[in-house]
Amino acid sequence: MADTKSGRFASSSAAISPLVQSPENLECKNFQEYLRTRQTPETLEKLYNYPPICLAVYRELPEIARQFVIRILFVDQPVPQAVVTSWGAQRVAKEQMEATSCLTALCVWRVTAIPGGLAAWELSPTFKKSVRQVLLGGGKPWAMTNTLDKDSKPRDITFLDSYAMSRWRCVLHYMVGTGGRNGGTDAEAISPDAVRILLHANLMKRDERDGITITRQGFQFLLLDTRAQVWHFMLQYLETCEERGISLPECLSMLFQLSFSTLGRDYSSEGMNSQMLTFLQHLREFGLVFQRKRKEGRFYPTRLALNVTNKDAAQASTTADEERMQERGYIVVETNYRVYAYTDSQLQVAVLGLFTELLYRFPNLVVGVLTRDSVRQALRGGITAEQIVSYLEQYAHPNMKLVESAIQSKSCLPPTVVDQIKLWELERNRFTYTEGVVYNQFLSQNDFVTLRDYAQSINMLVWQNERTRTMVVQKNGHDDVKRYWKKYSKSGG
Amino acid sequence: MEIPDVAASKEAEASIDLLAIVLDTNPSQQIVRQNPQNLTQILEAVIAFGNAHLMQKAQNKLAVLSCSHYTTEFLFPLPGRHVELRQIDGQYEAFSLVEKTVKQQLGSILMNAPRLSAPCESLLAGSMSMALCYISRLQRNVPAGVKMHSRILVLTGSNECASQYMTYMNVFFTAQKLGIVVDTCALDKTLSLLQQGCDITNGQFLKVNQLDGLLQYLLWVFLPSPQMRHKLVLPPTPKVDYRASCFCHRELIDIGYVCSVCLSVFCKYSPICTTCHTIFKTPGPLPVKPKKKKKTDKQI
Repeated sequence: MADTKSGRFASSSAAISPLVQSPENLECKNFQEYLRTRQTPETLEKLYNYPPICLAVYRELPEIARQFVIRILFVDQPVPQAVVTSWGAQRVAKEQMEATSCLTALCVWRVTAIPGGLAAWELSPTFKKSVRQVLLGGGKPWAMTNTLDKDSKPRDITFLDSYAMSRWRCVLHYMVGTGGRNGGTDAEAISPDAVRILLHANLMKRDERDGITITRQGFQFLLLDTRAQVWHFMLQYLETCEERGISLPECLSMLFQLSFSTLGRDYSSEGMNSQMLTFLQHLREFGLVFQRKRKEGRFYPTRLALNVTNKDAAQASTTADEERMQERGYIVVETNYRVYAYTDSQLQVAVLGLFTELLYRFPNLVVGVLTRDSVRQALRGGITAEQIVSYLEQYAHPNMKLVESAIQSKSCLPPTVVDQIKLWELERNRFTYTEGVVYNQFLSQNDFVTLRDYAQSINMLVWQNERTRTMVVQKNGHDDVKRYWKKYSKSGG
Repeated sequence: MEIPDVAASKEAEASIDLLAIVLDTNPSQQIVRQNPQNLTQILEAVIAFGNAHLMQKAQNKLAVLSCSHYTTEFLFPLPGRHVELRQIDGQYEAFSLVEKTVKQQLGSILMNAPRLSAPCESLLAGSMSMALCYISRLQRNVPAGVKMHSRILVLTGSNECASQYMTYMNVFFTAQKLGIVVDTCALDKTLSLLQQGCDITNGQFLKVNQLDGLLQYLLWVFLPSPQMRHKLVLPPTPKVDYRASCFCHRELIDIGYVCSVCLSVFCKYSPICTTCHTIFKTPGPLPVKPKKKKKTDKQI
């Protein structure tokens, strides 16, 4: 008689398994995921009262979904589901399904019945109203657009950029702990509120021995591009904002108003309630807005706040700025795995040191090499190959980008290096974990062979060994195999 | 199959889409002469459509050109001048900017237009080449690593005339070479030349029968980007009339003479090609030796 035991069984093949990955990796959500996971239909409905939020939601939708929404935006009756389905081509049915479910999940539209018993889609009236308002006008102006008299000392875009980046770097420097060593002044320190958010987001942790230190999520955070950093940080902020007694819809609406504002133009904080003014002060601290004095009713949004949800848009607009590009790109990667970084910033060197072996250091240049060991160490620290590659791509020297457009390749990094980093990651993921059931202690070879062949015929066999008469069957195949075994043994086989 | 699709849609999300709208504002269009209100209606629809395009993605770009019987002017964007504008209602700042600029600019163009005694044709082909120039200028300034997809949408109620045949063809083939899609929305008459252009550049041609639902037509057919269109069911392209117009009288012809050197088309035989000045030796009267005649079958 075969004895069955339930257990896990590991077979070797290359794939990533959820069972081994530690759950403490940095989780970056985009706006859509955030809304889906954190918001209930009622709160979503509340959010849709704010036109800026609706515009942001609309832009986050999949492309097909955007077309569907705009097609029924000006239709007042519900549209039968069959009609909507007929809009998409047959071979992208799957994509269309995703778009439809996304719209439902975000409560952008809902199912209603129309006369004749057909199911139909109807846009959420609040959402419809807000989007129409954004597109065609009408309704109240957004909160921060009160008229202002002309600023006597208007700030230009270059100033705003450098201001924003210096503020944001303060936060990053604080995380790496290099702010103090660089002879940081008071202006470089960050407020207890910001520290609280970093702690809440698990980017830093309190340690009895040496105070506040950076966590591994923190290091992963540093590898993100600035845009993603800001967005992740703001999401964490929004989670804590209810505790401070600031209303979430108002905050989000404010954030998106900033995100849709014009760079280099001043806006008025007149008419904002005290909560929003506090929020504004926080944004000011992180460099999302520039305000000369705390009490001044005028502020300038900076590049950090613009298009806060959309990385691509940001790229398209920021890289257009020549000077900025010069400032950002400083890494040259060669095919021999050498990495040259033209920088003297502690922060950038610290981040680079996460996955390269640093060789030389000059006043404005750091030379390192990507080795198997250094990359594996980073991978062990929970950093993914994708993150390393995207970091190198993001800060690639402008000359590297010229090569990219010259040879029409997808990435500006040497393909060998990119592939190798990915291979180094794959090296670590050689196990697939499958739940299974062990069958052993068969009395005869014949029993074993019969059962094994059956399991194989229904594609449920994971592993077998004839000598020890042991076989492993997938868990969902267990019932079938057991039934077969019962029948087989009853028939006296 | 899966992965390239995902990559393609990611690429589409990251690229810049530029839409250049060429709007025919010629007052001698039939629909405008019947009812001047129609032009306002068309304009409103075009503005809303342009804004809907900008709404799709943050990095999308828009240009609107006005084409009339004597000139082509940019309605949006205006070079240099920065319009100081505060929000007056719930409309998104960038959208109100488009609306205000286009209306203001068109108003001043119409006011300053010279009086015309007889109906004149619109210089559509010229406006389209201006749009092409604009697109190629922006294309040059796109930062490294960012892709830009451009298209032109022509909205017109006037009749096309064969006299601009050469310019049209140059525009179409340039667009095809640059990978720019030409879409046409005919408001009054079926336009065979523009239809050819849409076909050459893989664009959509649509003849709108009633102006009432113009915005809805535009949003349905022309809003999806060309990369997106194969995922949607759009009106099928009707049979395209591929007749060429002759270079001597600018008339559409089925059968004609083609210069063997420069491929110019003529409705009548001439011993010297007017385009490239090639001299054809014609021995004897043509009917006698019909086989030597430079004759092609251009009929589709």
